[in-house]
Amino acid sequence: MAATIERIPSTDISGDVYRRGRTQIQKAVTYILLTAAGLMFAFPLFWTVSSSLQTWQELRSYEPHLFPSIPQWANYAQVFQSVPFARWMANSFLITAITIPGVIITGSLTAYSFARFNYIGKEFWFVLMLGTMMIPTQVILIPQYVLFFNLKLINTYVPLTIGSWLGGGAFMIFLLRQFIMSIPRDLDEAALMDGASPIRILWGVLLPLMKPALTTVAILQFLGDWNEFFGPFIYLSKVELFTAAVGLRFFQNIPLESRDPRDHLLMAAAAIMTIPVITLFAAAQRYFIQGVVLSGLKI
Amino acid sequence: MATLASRLKFQGLSERLTTTKQRRDNFYGYLFLIPWLLGFFGLFIGPGLGSLYFSFTKYDVLSAPEWIGLDNYIKMFTDDPLFYTSLGRTFYYAGLGVPLGVIGSMFLAILLNAKLKGLAMYRTLFFMPSLVPIVASVVLWKWLLHADFGIINQWLIDLGWSDPPGWFGDRRWAIPSLIMMGLWQGLGGTRMIIFLAGLQGIPESLYEAASIDGATALHKLRHVTIPLLTPTIFFNMVLGIIGGLQVFTAAFVATEGGPGFATTFYSLHLYRHAFDYWNMGYASSLAWFFAFVIVSMTIWQLRLSRRWVFYYGS
Repeated sequence: MAATIERIPSTDISGDVYRRGRTQIQKAVTYILLTAAGLMFAFPLFWTVSSSLQTWQELRSYEPHLFPSIPQWANYAQVFQSVPFARWMANSFLITAITIPGVIITGSLTAYSFARFNYIGKEFWFVLMLGTMMIPTQVILIPQYVLFFNLKLINTYVPLTIGSWLGGGAFMIFLLRQFIMSIPRDLDEAALMDGASPIRILWGVLLPLMKPALTTVAILQFLGDWNEFFGPFIYLSKVELFTAAVGLRFFQNIPLESRDPRDHLLMAAAAIMTIPVITLFAAAQRYFIQGVVLSGLKI
Repeated sequence: MATLASRLKFQGLSERLTTTKQRRDNFYGYLFLIPWLLGFFGLFIGPGLGSLYFSFTKYDVLSAPEWIGLDNYIKMFTDDPLFYTSLGRTFYYAGLGVPLGVIGSMFLAILLNAKLKGLAMYRTLFFMPSLVPIVASVVLWKWLLHADFGIINQWLIDLGWSDPPGWFGDRRWAIPSLIMMGLWQGLGGTRMIIFLAGLQGIPESLYEAASIDGATALHKLRHVTIPLLTPTIFFNMVLGIIGGLQVFTAAFVATEGGPGFATTFYSLHLYRHAFDYWNMGYASSLAWFFAFVIVSMTIWQLRLSRRWVFYYGS
């Protein structure tokens, strides 16, 4: 497809008034579209919170109440009483506390190797690494499961965290490599002249400069682990080891003592599980977008 | 002569320097690569070869794998009706959901790229659903789309649709329901941010030139913005298809593959064989065929891209 800009005969000299009117209409249309889209994105979020504060009788009354007549804050307490949701959240946090240092340390080492050393076979390994992103996880899933099963590591967090201590995955390594490549080599070379060892250069020169990239990687790792369902689902069968994601599904399906509908409680649990992510986003918004910038996607 | 001698001497020195530098690079390069190499062989290549081997065996984890040659692959094509239907449903899901998602994200990004006030607020709002963990999102959408008490059906009834769809509980609507949920989560997420980055890379001068020629906003969209975004569209399509074909969690948590087999996507079919029936051998052959499909789709898209992707300045 050619991107020729069609020459339109510039007979249009109707002047500024016409043109200004047109831009006013364009602006109005843009705002209307944006607001309509915004409402569609926001409503389900609003409805989660609103439903979580209603009674089930209110929710099932055939006449939707947009707002709870009396906010039922006790619904949130009831979630924690019905299932060990606090424990599950703590487990999810524990996993991220293991994986984040892992990806920061081993991801940086791998990225440093790819960005700063010219060794035999580097391109070969780098292409293979990028290639791993295309292969579906199903291909490695079963032998990995068999491996961890034979090593008696089912119902431990090892299968869920070990990858982060072995490089942390192609995407993270790629992001960190791109960032290191943007740091002037002069800095390394000056340190080298001063007799610093390569590991000293990484630790003393590069890592302090990599803080934005490391923060982004840490956030991406947190989001990934917090969201992850399949791994914890197949490797964990003990309820007390569940993560929040697996626990929420469990809560959706298990029979409870009271056979009343539990939509309001599920909505409260969904909200509880989302709060840490939203909080992180509020605190570090720019790093969520940084990943795109860092990967250097000039497309 | 003296200069030649010194030059020769210098050359020897610099050669020695490059070889020591080369040796140093080889040593440290591989030293720092060790963790990744361990993971690559231990968690990727090893298991990959393992599942290739399993795919020619009958294997239930508890007893040793038994070599059965191509039987699994033959069974897949001749004696497993769910193989074809699950593959078909997977293509339906990705084939409808991914283009809608990519085009939708592009249009949101174009709206956000207008030079207007208050757009940061809209961008944040659009981005929020992508932060909701997928299991939480499923729980929420099952409630929004509840056949009897869901607020969407209550609205549809108020609008005069006396018999609204059963959504997740309805064979025909289950996949569209998953697509709707996916669009809510995905339209304003990272993909939209990638489009925004792409839009900011379009030189302002092209728009100025178009304005001088009297182009309207729609002309500019059609003849400047969209052609220059084709590399971004392509990138997002490739990533989207790779991800979309692997859809698992949403369908598994929302419907467990039902109602009937309406949302039994390929990865759910594979999961059942692996972890419900312990047919690890058969599941491995399904996995390898799946890898073949995904890699072929990616290569096919790369080929096709030459016809429609436009790289500015090259």
